[in-house]
Amino acid sequence: MGASLPPKEANLFKLIVKSYETKQYKKGLKAADAILKKFPDHGETLSMKGLTLNCMDRKSEAYELVRQGLKNDLKSHVCWHVFGLLYRSDREYREAIKCYRNALKIDPDNIEILRDLSLLQAQMRDLSGFVETRQQLLTLKPNHRMNWIGFSVAHHLNSNASKAVEILEAYEGTLEDDYPPENERCEHGEMLLYKISLLEECGLLESALEELRKKESKIVDKLEYKEQEVSLLVKLGRLEEGEVLYQALLSMNPDNYRYYEGLQKCVGLYSVNGQYSPDEIDRLDSLYKSLGQQYKWSSAVKRIPLDFLQGDKFRAAADNYIRPLLTKGVPSLFSDLSSLYNHPGKADILEQLILELEHSIRPAGQYPGRRGQYEVALSKIDEAIEHTPTVIDLYSVKSRILKHAGDFAAAAAFADEARCMDLADRYVNSECVKRMLQADQVALAEKTAVLFTKDGDQHNNLHDMQCMYELASGESYFRQGDLGRALKKFLAVEKHYADITEDQFDFHSYCLRKMTLRTYVEMLKFQDRLHSHVYFEKAAAGAIRCYIKLHDSPPKSTTEEDDEMSKLLPSQKKKMRQKQRKAEARAKKEAEEKNEELNAGGASKSGKRHVKPVDPDPHGEKLLQVEDPLSEATKYLKLLQKNSPDSLETHLLAFECYTRRNKILLALQAVKRLLKLDAEHPDSHRCLIKLFHKVGSMNAPVTDGEKLIWSVLEAERSTISQLHEKSLVEANNAFLENHKDSLMHKAAFAEILSILDLNRKSEAVKLVEESTNNFVPSNGALGPIREWTLKDCIAVHKLLGTILHDQDAALRWKSRCAEYFPYSTYFEGSCSSVSPNSVYSQLSKNSEHESSNHSTGSQNAGPIKSNGKLDAFKDLTI
Amino acid sequence: MSCSSQSRGLCAEISWEFKNVSRLFSTATPLHLCFSGGAVPSDSEATLSPFSQIQTLFRMGAGREVSISLDGVRDKNLMQLKKLNIALFPVRYNEKYYADALASGEFTKLAYYSDICVGAIACRLEKKENGGQIRVYIMTLGVLAPYRGLGIGTKLLNHVLDLCSKQNISEVYLHVQTNNEDAINFYKKFGFEITETIQNYYTNISPPDCYVLTRHTVQSPTKK
Repeated sequence: MGASLPPKEANLFKLIVKSYETKQYKKGLKAADAILKKFPDHGETLSMKGLTLNCMDRKSEAYELVRQGLKNDLKSHVCWHVFGLLYRSDREYREAIKCYRNALKIDPDNIEILRDLSLLQAQMRDLSGFVETRQQLLTLKPNHRMNWIGFSVAHHLNSNASKAVEILEAYEGTLEDDYPPENERCEHGEMLLYKISLLEECGLLESALEELRKKESKIVDKLEYKEQEVSLLVKLGRLEEGEVLYQALLSMNPDNYRYYEGLQKCVGLYSVNGQYSPDEIDRLDSLYKSLGQQYKWSSAVKRIPLDFLQGDKFRAAADNYIRPLLTKGVPSLFSDLSSLYNHPGKADILEQLILELEHSIRPAGQYPGRRGQYEVALSKIDEAIEHTPTVIDLYSVKSRILKHAGDFAAAAAFADEARCMDLADRYVNSECVKRMLQADQVALAEKTAVLFTKDGDQHNNLHDMQCMYELASGESYFRQGDLGRALKKFLAVEKHYADITEDQFDFHSYCLRKMTLRTYVEMLKFQDRLHSHVYFEKAAAGAIRCYIKLHDSPPKSTTEEDDEMSKLLPSQKKKMRQKQRKAEARAKKEAEEKNEELNAGGASKSGKRHVKPVDPDPHGEKLLQVEDPLSEATKYLKLLQKNSPDSLETHLLAFECYTRRNKILLALQAVKRLLKLDAEHPDSHRCLIKLFHKVGSMNAPVTDGEKLIWSVLEAERSTISQLHEKSLVEANNAFLENHKDSLMHKAAFAEILSILDLNRKSEAVKLVEESTNNFVPSNGALGPIREWTLKDCIAVHKLLGTILHDQDAALRWKSRCAEYFPYSTYFEGSCSSVSPNSVYSQLSKNSEHESSNHSTGSQNAGPIKSNGKLDAFKDLTI
Repeated sequence: MSCSSQSRGLCAEISWEFKNVSRLFSTATPLHLCFSGGAVPSDSEATLSPFSQIQTLFRMGAGREVSISLDGVRDKNLMQLKKLNIALFPVRYNEKYYADALASGEFTKLAYYSDICVGAIACRLEKKENGGQIRVYIMTLGVLAPYRGLGIGTKLLNHVLDLCSKQNISEVYLHVQTNNEDAINFYKKFGFEITETIQNYYTNISPPDCYVLTRHTVQSPTKK
């Protein structure tokens, strides 16, 4: 480095490098300028100066200097390396890899560059390249432990576990007998466990077990040792030994569900779907009874039997389980038990049980809520609130019940009430934010969320917390039709996932050094399927929906707006212009204030902290100006297809996108995947018929390409059983025949009917309206339950109004559903917050009452008498 | 101190300047202390019964005593005190009441039954006219109906009395409606005495008169 310089300048150059490494950038900059004074064209110095400036937030100068430096000295590995580092700092890893490769062409054995390259290769999953680089590093420095480990991990990641084992064994061969020294025992133990997990992965169970036992004394993590041992024993079918070990593990931690599951497997009483014969249930019952004797404090041992017990035994066990938890006041009891509601018959038993206990318990309201009997649930919860009005959970539960019942505004109001009762509780605060977003009160929700963020720089800070609030916020904006803001929020979620991917970078070096290899590999595998996470799926779906909507009704251009303006009366025009001007002025003022704040903040921090630039597009207006919304949508669609191929939603969106883009074969692919996932789903049926209806209405093929597509469609159609030797109308009829009793299937049938034959629209409407909302067969103690869900009924309402365009029918449907769902604001039910008699209006009345009291004081004291004439009072004095 | 902003609360806001007192009486309303779950006495029977079941459950379930603890009032949990007051007293207290309660520090406490807030004592610290000595005025003391008979009220009051003796505060006083015998007897057990009768203290309730109960610390608080 700095070879071409005279000794004095060469020393200065070393100083630059050192200053860069120790982050003394100003010093480095001075040294660089000193060299450049004498040798203004010295490439390596120019590059280093650029790199230093890059760390001082002078990006454009940095790129300029580094490029110039490289131009002046193309043969310098330093210049290439620096260029790579610059790209790396901007997360442009592919470019960075290219630069490193060029640097290595000049200096193939440069360890630093090789190491940097290997990190990037791991990050980008260039696995064969990673193996190669790691091999080179090991060859150059075989006395470094990390190089052996790195080489082994590289082979493992590159799907060659047996090679990875060989390398680790070779490495062990280089160690002395008394290895490891005291301070490295943990690392060595981790390495051994990693090796054993590799053997297990290779299927070499016997040798894995043998190796494990041989190295027992050197493995520090005794729990992991036992868990690994038992896992190997079970895989080897040595169940008796496994049983003994699981018992030992349970004595260490009797609340670990996996141990119980393992023990059941060992004694042959395990089924994946939880179905057991009566004999098996008896044996399980006695097993858990004896375990319960051993582990009296374990809650797992009491909870697990509720899953397999039936009938009276279930009832008794549930009773035993619930009572102490109720007296303790465990608020999570309901979430603990809620999975049982999916077991046939158990919901009824629980309901009876809870009713019997009712007087003595508080959260009784939660139970009916799960079964759709909101009125009962609400009266129970009100009773509980009257009993003890200071329990915050009661308000949260009430809020949740109202949400399920379809009254989001009231739900938000009660969640806020719960929040106010403990302003230091982040959980109730977050829950309140969620409810506010569900009620489309976005501004209020953001204000509330910000109560728990740290600095004044609110939105960015909320974003930095990666709490995914953007998802709910985006969905709310979407409901309100504000596509720009919705898109902005959905894309922010996508950004979170990009950041999470990015976050793994530091671990490539850290984990190899710390030897936490098993968790490291697990983390990499998790990252590989990161985008299949449900929040990403929802955000991507939301973004795609925005783009589809944008395509269907593009934002009005200025000329169109002018057209609209010209239709208005002059006075109206004037008013509108005034309004616009005012809004603009307000926005401008706000932006200025914000900037000032930022400047002031920046000054006080004396530029130490990086001040975030103001978002130039806070409302996502620029996002709406995309040329081709559908091609944007396709980007996210591809991610969904890759990462969430098992979700109906993915293929449904694919169908919507591709039919709009006239990509018939891709739409066909989406339909085929829908049919494969759930052929009986109403949406699958809709898409199938719509696709072939569209095909039928297209012009006959002309070009060769079209003819080819045509023939593929012909061939495919004959393979789809639903359409086999049937016309589309017949297929639609058959679909109805198979699902006569389901509202949603009927709705799909009706929609298709009206598409296939416009003249039969009224028939379609009639069919939907004739559906009956039957009672679910059950012997619930709280009265009958109806079949239809609120969500489905809303969907049907939209079908009637916006797809079948029958406003009268939609109105009829609405008033009918208002009866079924009295709390639904959508249907304007009599108990919902849009009605004057609702819970919510009572609440707001109360608060008005209260505030009037604050201001006016003691104008009208309420009637009060009889204080103290109470028996209860005697008790108090004892 | 303006009367119109005074609380209509059970415990009237009384200025330390005694000359203002008579002016206050005309507007400040109800009486001092309420242990009832509401204005209707028959409620108490109804609300008591479920609690006895809870108690039974406690005894058979956990087999352990439920702990009763006190916690201070802060801006973060002030709503708990408000909720209690709404349930206990048929009036809404104004901001001044809550500001006084917060300012009194340790003299205002919430009582927790296990982890449920079920009662509170709220005091105001007043400077006496002569000599600048501090005295304590108990604004409210109450326990939710289902949780009475567990010594929670006693615990709350004892806490304040202990604090007074530690800080050498010699005078604690409060107002109580003249017919509220239970409350009067309760306070007498702790060494309170009727020191004054104020006619027409309350506007909307009968009888409209109240006693001033005062306790001068010479003896130690009675503990049972």
